[in-house]
Amino acid sequence: MTSSVVDPLELEQVRRRVFLALFVALAVALHTVEVLLPNPLPWFRIGLANILALAALFSYGIQALWIVSISRILIGSLLLGSLFSPGFLLSLGGGFAANLLMSSGYKLWQTKIGPVGVSVLGALGHVTGQLLIAWLIVIRHPSIWMLLPFFLLFALISGIVNGLAADYLLGSLYKHPAFAGLKAKYATRDSVQD
Amino acid sequence: MKVIGWVERLTPFDRKLLVVVAVLVALSFLLPLRQNAGARVVVSSDDRIVFVASLDKDQRVELDGPLGITILQIENGAARIISSPCSQKICIGMGEARYSGDLLACVPNQLVITIEGNSDGEDAEYDFISR
Repeated sequence: MTSSVVDPLELEQVRRRVFLALFVALAVALHTVEVLLPNPLPWFRIGLANILALAALFSYGIQALWIVSISRILIGSLLLGSLFSPGFLLSLGGGFAANLLMSSGYKLWQTKIGPVGVSVLGALGHVTGQLLIAWLIVIRHPSIWMLLPFFLLFALISGIVNGLAADYLLGSLYKHPAFAGLKAKYATRDSVQD
Repeated sequence: MKVIGWVERLTPFDRKLLVVVAVLVALSFLLPLRQNAGARVVVSSDDRIVFVASLDKDQRVELDGPLGITILQIENGAARIISSPCSQKICIGMGEARYSGDLLACVPNQLVITIEGNSDGEDAEYDFISR
């Protein structure tokens, strides 16, 4: 890159675009890999792709979160051939609910909340949104809500795992000079990571 | 890495949030999300309904199957099989059926016992196909 002659603001924007594109690409890959994994129960997913959405949120803000997760759902479903199927609607509903909770959590407690906190909020939002969609359009029977506590418990665990993964990812990303401008912002939180 | 090493990666706020969320998730297991208690016991054998009774009325019924007589007991709004001529007694081990949609079956004696209807009076919608 001819970075030495480019104005720094424009360079930052180009970096943002490039890294968001990479985040989307990685998220799609994780989304696809996860569908291929053997799964004990049809709707229990770890949601590995959310790691990249979290990385986007903590690097580039709420708008980047929505870009990465909605593009990931659209492209991932297109690749897997499930676009506009009930499974896709479940993904989309879960994704919207998760993003809503993650954005508001991030906005409300911006200086205090870390990737794990946001991730857990997102995971809980995801299962709740999915069940809501499942109940509205797939199985119109109230007994489906009996699954909710089990889903929430699983979401809590997978949320913590994803949040930690995102935290490690952000920690190593910020060691790279391309993220120098963002490091300061991340370090202003209550607890400073290594 | 220590087992609790990961906790150190959380911000203090995250830890509080995790505790609150964990308590809420634990509480969600106590939510009254159970299905509705059923209204009727329906016994079918060989695709024919051979017996129908209300779950409200306590009684003991002798059901005829190819192997002999299976005894079904209805008590306190629940149905259970208390005696069966089959060899493995799986049907007795199935315990009680109380909620709409619950099922007891004795395959060797060709009996299928299902709970139907809704104790609230209004009959539950069937499923989204038959609606």
